[in-house]
Amino acid sequence: MPFVKAQKTKAYFKRYQVKFKRRREGKTDYRARNRLINQDKNKYNTPKYRLVARFTNKDIIAQIIHASISGDIVLAAAYGHELPHYGLEVGLTNYAAAYCVGLLLARRTLKQLEMDAEYEGNVEATGEDYSVEPGESRRPFRSLLDVGLVRTTTGNRVFGVLKGALDGGIDIPHSEKRFAGFNKDSKQLDPEVHRKYIYGGHVASYMRTLMEDEPEKYQSHFSEYIKRGIEADNLEGVYKKVHAAIRANPEAKKSEKPPPKEHKRYNLKKLSYEERKAKLIDRLKALNSAAGVDSDEDDE
Amino acid sequence: MPAGHGLRSRTRDLFSRPFRKKGYIPLSTYLRTYKIGDYVDVKVNGAVHKGMPHKFYHGRTGRVWNVTKRAIGVEVNKQVGNRIIRKRIHVRVEHVQPSRCTEEFKLRKLKNDQLKAEAKARGEVISTKRQPEGPKPGFMVEGAMLETVTPIPYDVVNDLKGGY
Repeated sequence: MPFVKAQKTKAYFKRYQVKFKRRREGKTDYRARNRLINQDKNKYNTPKYRLVARFTNKDIIAQIIHASISGDIVLAAAYGHELPHYGLEVGLTNYAAAYCVGLLLARRTLKQLEMDAEYEGNVEATGEDYSVEPGESRRPFRSLLDVGLVRTTTGNRVFGVLKGALDGGIDIPHSEKRFAGFNKDSKQLDPEVHRKYIYGGHVASYMRTLMEDEPEKYQSHFSEYIKRGIEADNLEGVYKKVHAAIRANPEAKKSEKPPPKEHKRYNLKKLSYEERKAKLIDRLKALNSAAGVDSDEDDE
Repeated sequence: MPAGHGLRSRTRDLFSRPFRKKGYIPLSTYLRTYKIGDYVDVKVNGAVHKGMPHKFYHGRTGRVWNVTKRAIGVEVNKQVGNRIIRKRIHVRVEHVQPSRCTEEFKLRKLKNDQLKAEAKARGEVISTKRQPEGPKPGFMVEGAMLETVTPIPYDVVNDLKGGY
């Protein structure tokens, strides 16, 4: 084998400083996190809430979290996979579903804090920019949007979550620059386009084009929609019903799960300090007795 | 060229970050809250350039007298000439740690209150004062074997090695 100079010597490892664990996993942007969490010292223990919107391949996760030294605390959470309870079974990760999840999270937190009667938010989703007005008795619930590591382009689904939460009644500082339908040239938000996206209009138009041009692809791509009888025209109606259902009952449903079954252990269980000491004493005793026997034999 | 006495002179090692702890500072420094009257240690974090105290205050402990948006006012004693002045400085939270100097005192206070309450319930009077360690009690030495040591008589012939 030819002589290869070792690239990573022992000295390299000795001097290597690891990044923070979540940075190594590529999950947390600490620069952003620092700025989101930092609270003015003269506000002492007032929590600074952030609306965390994360997207996986098949799910949407929206949570209201505030930070503490022993770990972040989640005030309320809403998931994309809860939307079937409210009547939406397909398309659980699109812009319209993101809007529903944001709305669900907002109504849930307000109900938890008993502010839901006071802050109705925008009941009719028009796509226009809506900001919460301060109510009579309490100031609105304020949180900051935490996008994570997504690239914040115009029309991104995290802003769908943001719009849903705003219309639900939470106060989040924002600008309309990144909502779907913002025109870069005229620097204005077109509420019609945004409203189309909120009600799944972009999905509906794709369904229509596919039905005309490639019916087979339409059958395969939107098979679940067809199975449930959802067509391009009644898509908007479906979302309207979902919004109404969310506003009616935003409570989280606790699902009954059987207790997890015990698995066979394939590796040794780690012993505690006392157990290890006890083991050592037993070993020494055994050694002593064996040695005692041997020495007796030798003496004989 | 003379050495110069700038603000951060002679702080090459004092302000440098420890080995393998460079870069981002853990967020718990930002999450701590400080109230007026708390004791804090001033320890400069070289990674953050704003709100750094002068090198004199590194390692000093003082009390908080002011809390602002991102910084804390600390009152530290400094000896100037023949007197000690109480100096008030403002320091960003990255350069400050909560001090444990009063921790022992606070714990003792709690314990003493508890002991006093218990004694009161039983109706007896106890003293919670700390006593200094006294002299060790007397004890018998065990397993002692008496060995008498006597000097051996001087032997001239053997001890004069070599040179006569």
